[in-house]
Amino acid sequence: MNKVQADEEFKFIREMIDRTRKITAGSWMFFLIWGIVAILGIGGMYALVFVEKYSWIWLNWIVFVGIGVVFSIVYGKRIERLKGARTYANIATSHVCFACGIAFLLVGFIFPFLKLYSWGLIAILISLVAGIMVFSLGGIYEWKLLKWCGVLWWLGALGMVFIHENYRALLFIPLMLIGYIMPALVLRSMYKKQSEEDAS
Amino acid sequence: MPPEKLAPLDPVIHSRTRLAVLSILISVKEASFNYLKETIGTTDGNLSVSLSKLEEAGYISIKKAFKGKKPLTTCRINEKGTKAFSEYLKALESYIEFKE
Repeated sequence: MNKVQADEEFKFIREMIDRTRKITAGSWMFFLIWGIVAILGIGGMYALVFVEKYSWIWLNWIVFVGIGVVFSIVYGKRIERLKGARTYANIATSHVCFACGIAFLLVGFIFPFLKLYSWGLIAILISLVAGIMVFSLGGIYEWKLLKWCGVLWWLGALGMVFIHENYRALLFIPLMLIGYIMPALVLRSMYKKQSEEDAS
Repeated sequence: MPPEKLAPLDPVIHSRTRLAVLSILISVKEASFNYLKETIGTTDGNLSVSLSKLEEAGYISIKKAFKGKKPLTTCRINEKGTKAFSEYLKALESYIEFKE
């Protein structure tokens, strides 16, 4: 073997490793759906607080989280079947998402339900957890935009401290759109572009 | 570096399909037969022979199961395979660094 052949072998190995990266691109759907679930859940909760139907808040969350869970199970099984391989990035992603999902449930529903703090703190705490999730995913996928979205969530959490609790949703919704839905849509377009390239 | 000091290339890995299999398995926890076949772009027969050789060398482990009524073959790299792959990369590097 000479230097040129060794170089070609390296290129070949890199190409094979790069092909496995494509598996992770399909995760955008989970990201997008959970973002929509969170927006609807928070929106519904604020609407119920506004009309002073506090006792219905738990039902609001159970409905939206239930939809998210059912979708994740069905779509996850379908994706697993199509992928045919489990990457370490996918395993790390599912663990981060699961851990943050539990944290969302605790800080967004269980703790306020147990009257550990007022409902007004939910948006701040959810923003903190969302920041951890988005920043960690940015690290796993080595995607700077996602890391900055994580930082944006933390800045948003800090900003909410200075806003009256009745108006925190006003900051929370744009945060959700910029820091969560936007990267999901970017992921989606990357995935579609990749699929088109593969097909051609 | 004199040519005789160049690290020898592992003959088990030094084949296009087997190198491709190990390159993929090194970056995933496990992969199905079909996934490997589609990603590498090879035939069933060629891949089967390559997987058997890698398994005989103790570089990968193959698990055969059923998913519903369909057979499902999954492969994962072993510690021995990871070490051999790493040594193969080092050997390749020695060829690149070699000055005639």
